[in-house]
Amino acid sequence: MLAAARGLRAQPKKKKKVDPKREQAQKDRVKKKIKKLEKAAPELIPIEDFETPLKFSDSNRVRSLPPLSFEETERRVLLMKKWSLYKQQQDKAEKEAIRSLVEAQQEALKELRLESEELYQAAVRRDEELFPFERDGPNYTPPLPGYDPPEGKCIDITKVYTQ
Amino acid sequence: DGLVNFHRHYRSRPTHGIGKYKHLLPKEVPKRKRDRLQMKEINVGTEHEYGDINIQMTSYDMCLVEHFAQYVHKLCNQLSIRVNESYAMPTKTNEVLFMEERGSKMQVDAVLTTHQRVVQISRLSSTFAPILLEIIQSSQPEGVHLLMKEHTETDFKSRLKSRPELEELLAQVS
Repeated sequence: MLAAARGLRAQPKKKKKVDPKREQAQKDRVKKKIKKLEKAAPELIPIEDFETPLKFSDSNRVRSLPPLSFEETERRVLLMKKWSLYKQQQDKAEKEAIRSLVEAQQEALKELRLESEELYQAAVRRDEELFPFERDGPNYTPPLPGYDPPEGKCIDITKVYTQ
Repeated sequence: DGLVNFHRHYRSRPTHGIGKYKHLLPKEVPKRKRDRLQMKEINVGTEHEYGDINIQMTSYDMCLVEHFAQYVHKLCNQLSIRVNESYAMPTKTNEVLFMEERGSKMQVDAVLTTHQRVVQISRLSSTFAPILLEIIQSSQPEGVHLLMKEHTETDFKSRLKSRPELEELLAQVS
């Protein structure tokens, strides 16, 4: 009976001491690792558009253009002048459009204010439903009605960057 | 003349420290690589000013979308709208496959790259916002998809690289 009791006492107690210690040590290690990783600043994903592919950095291929004739240079200069004039008129028209829109808006708001102060305040407040705003650009060729496209799928093969 | 020296500091003289100006300049916060985010603006209705708005332009044609982004940026500058940032989102590549008529094999049709440029503006007045929208819409080129939305933290986070190890460890802790 005494020997059995000694045997029980001699058995190391696994549950009370070692487990919480081990867990604590593990947690500390994990927290240290997290701290270390968090110290490094998050990086932006590199944009492939701005990296020139290597095959274009080969300086052996240089284009040699033939010299232009006098008429050709004259034609180009005059074309450039006409183009810049056209663009200037376009820009002026746009500025005029903006100006007239703003003027009309201000006049309308002034009149509204004279009509009723409440409505004016409600009109001047910002519109919550304006954003998000989405619009597709115009198409050269609108989609054909009743067109039966072939079956297929799109796979996303974007390169995934990890830090 | 070799008599006048400019390098000695006459510390007992009252003119000591004459010419110092750096302590008068405002403290410049060193810009960390983390790109200071969260420039949240007042989004109160009665103030009639919108917070940070992202104008996102997406298209398959890179030159077109870049030129349009430049145009929008210049327009905002001219109209004295504050432009916080003007950046590019990472390019997405899609492989389009279609099923052949006679057969069950998928045929590679094309590889399309989607480019996106973002112009971030702030302090847009509520009366001017519809006018700006109108102008941008009228000059929208073909094939360019326009999206205007408010700037959120998720938008900012989508530009950063993913950190799977950090996420794993964080999942372990919680």
